[in-house]
Amino acid sequence: MTWLLPEGGTLQFKGLDQPLRILRGLGGGTQGQVFAVELGAPGSGEQLALKWYFPSCIARDPELRARLRQSIGLGAPNGDFLWPLALLEPQEAQPAGFGYLMALRPDGFVGAHLHAGGSLEISLQNVLKACFHLAEGFHQLHLKGLCYKDISLGNLFLEPGSGRILICDNDNVDIDGQGQGSVLGTPGFMAPEVLLGQARPGAASDLFSLAVLLFRLLSRHDPFRGARELAIRCLDEPARRRLYGEEALFIFDPVDAGNRPDPVEHSAALITWPIYPRSLQQLFEQSFGIGLRQPERRTLTGQWKQALARCLDQRQLCPHCGQETFLDPDAERHCWSCGGALPKPIQLQLPHGRVVAAAGNELQPHHVDALAGEAIDQPLALLVPHPSDPSLLGLRNLSQHTWQGQLSNGQQIALEPGRTCNLAPLQRLDSHAGAILVIRP
Amino acid sequence: MPFPNVRLSNRPLHFIYLCDCSGSMAAQGKMQALNQAIRQSLPGMAEVARQNPEARVLVRAVRFADQAAWHLAEPTPVQQLHWRDLEAGGITAMGAALELVAGALQSPPMEERALPPVLVLISDGQPTDDFEAGLAQLMRLPWAQKAVRLAIAMGHDADLDVLQQFIGPEPAGRGRSPRRPLQASNATTLAQYIQWASTAVVGAASMPASRVVMPGERPAATTPPSGSNIPLPDLPPTLLDPIDDVGPLVW
Ligand SMILES: Nc1ncnc2c1ncn2[C@@H]1O[C@H](COP(=O)(O)OP(=O)(O)OP(=O)(O)O)[C@@H](O)[C@H]1O
Ligand SMILES: [Zn+2]
Repeated sequence: MTWLLPEGGTLQFKGLDQPLRILRGLGGGTQGQVFAVELGAPGSGEQLALKWYFPSCIARDPELRARLRQSIGLGAPNGDFLWPLALLEPQEAQPAGFGYLMALRPDGFVGAHLHAGGSLEISLQNVLKACFHLAEGFHQLHLKGLCYKDISLGNLFLEPGSGRILICDNDNVDIDGQGQGSVLGTPGFMAPEVLLGQARPGAASDLFSLAVLLFRLLSRHDPFRGARELAIRCLDEPARRRLYGEEALFIFDPVDAGNRPDPVEHSAALITWPIYPRSLQQLFEQSFGIGLRQPERRTLTGQWKQALARCLDQRQLCPHCGQETFLDPDAERHCWSCGGALPKPIQLQLPHGRVVAAAGNELQPHHVDALAGEAIDQPLALLVPHPSDPSLLGLRNLSQHTWQGQLSNGQQIALEPGRTCNLAPLQRLDSHAGAILVIRP
Repeated sequence: MPFPNVRLSNRPLHFIYLCDCSGSMAAQGKMQALNQAIRQSLPGMAEVARQNPEARVLVRAVRFADQAAWHLAEPTPVQQLHWRDLEAGGITAMGAALELVAGALQSPPMEERALPPVLVLISDGQPTDDFEAGLAQLMRLPWAQKAVRLAIAMGHDADLDVLQQFIGPEPAGRGRSPRRPLQASNATTLAQYIQWASTAVVGAASMPASRVVMPGERPAATTPPSGSNIPLPDLPPTLLDPIDDVGPLVW
């Protein structure tokens, strides 16, 4: 790769009081190149990433600089965005152009396409968490009056061990309904009205692209690739226009069965769709059904958050095969993986939610506080197996407060921060935030 | 428990090099430069393939001199490809090379469903056989019509008209365009073009990238320009030979 900026060199930029060292090139895309850089004393300065644009990209997008300034001024919606931190313009004539600084993506985050391609080890719980973070990120972005315009697999990174995400390429972000930025989106993720040239991308088309991205993460398949894809010999641009625009039909459309997945070619969709509860499936049916042509009917970020959080609460491990299941625990259910009947689980009743007692599940602040929006990054408690006897399930207090427990024989116990109590004899736990009742089937 | 071991079904993407191995390629290290450029481009190509859940990138190569023959006959996953050096010697049977590729783009052996194939023709001279007949035979095939066809002219003796015919109608205006023969007058530029074809173009043919409109253009323009069914990525910024792309020298 021929780098636009000198690797190992030091450059002066307007507005930066210290020189910036270009450590190494990280990669190049269609718009420019990204470098690891260091600000401040060599070896002990702050490490950041610098995106530097190709002249051709600057030429075709005259508003790019102003948009970046605006985003830098407004600040990131939350910590899940690799948001522009500072606009960098060179002090001298060379190198020509400009770029922006952002945080360096930490090791451990991998491109979401690896997951879609089936080559990533990740649990269903962490995929659902990643989906929740995604809905939350765009919820916050939209609440600021902004739109992203190019939601796709290519702009998302995942940490498989935690379900944390990072959203990159934030340089198309603009105030919704304003600006004439050049990006239209990525085919396969673009809303039909944008793909067909009837509208410019904005918050409403973001909702469509978000639904596609969530579907692709949850299913490892594509919402529109069913029977109609099999009829396409050469999958090129005109074919994609039909598949995702003119003739788009959701593969699981509840009324029109004209585009169902093929049992062999599209097995991923048929295996994964039954994993998810109706409440979540319906949100896809809405966005890809009526929402296909009526942008105002698309599932909202808040609805996704709620349904995804509920899904995480319903996670139950199959006693026959160990797989994670997510169906409504109050109904008769069978495991999607082995087909075995799922017993009614123990559940924890909180003032504003109910959580299945399964190792790895968490109690969240929104379960106790009606005013707290759904959030999963600061759980109150975690269900954990006993370290030497995994058949014993316990509840660990993740808060800073001591909780009082009551056992079924009337005995009282104190549960200090960081300690875990055995769920088997527990009747109720009074946390600092509210009561937790153990509901046995 | 892991996410179920399933994935989006993928389609083959056939990438075929057509390499001129005539005697003139032996001059000035051109043959070596081409071998190097292709070999060096493979890791980047493999990375694009790895990042792309929708495609199975399969590479083949034809060599043409006195005759045309498969240099790499088996469609080979790029991750497993070891490039064997091409050797120069003979004349320029370019028409025969096109016929050979036509045989490969027939169904069968072509799969029923695939991504648009990518054909890259590299030459430093004039065809010595019936180029027109070879091209006609190739372009009768639907898969050839759908293919992304690129041409790289090595040095200043390549027959640009012939290469343009292979690509298709010349775009309006002047200047560098992927729909014109790419002129590589030195080894560095050649390597940049080969790298571009094997990464950016493979990416565009297999997984759609972000789409942009030019300032002033109507957004309806999400259809690629006529004459192609795949929007081609920008050419890499290259060090231009001062006499490349300046237009005709004498008229
Ligand atoms: N903040 C970052 N930290 C570390 N690596 C990064 C960062 N941002 C981008 N990269 C890497 O740099 C490379 C180029 O990034 P860039 O966003 O320009 O490319 P892209 O997303 O492939 O291109 P496009 O703009 O065409 O979508 C990619 O490999 C990307 O993973
Ligand atoms: Zn099971």
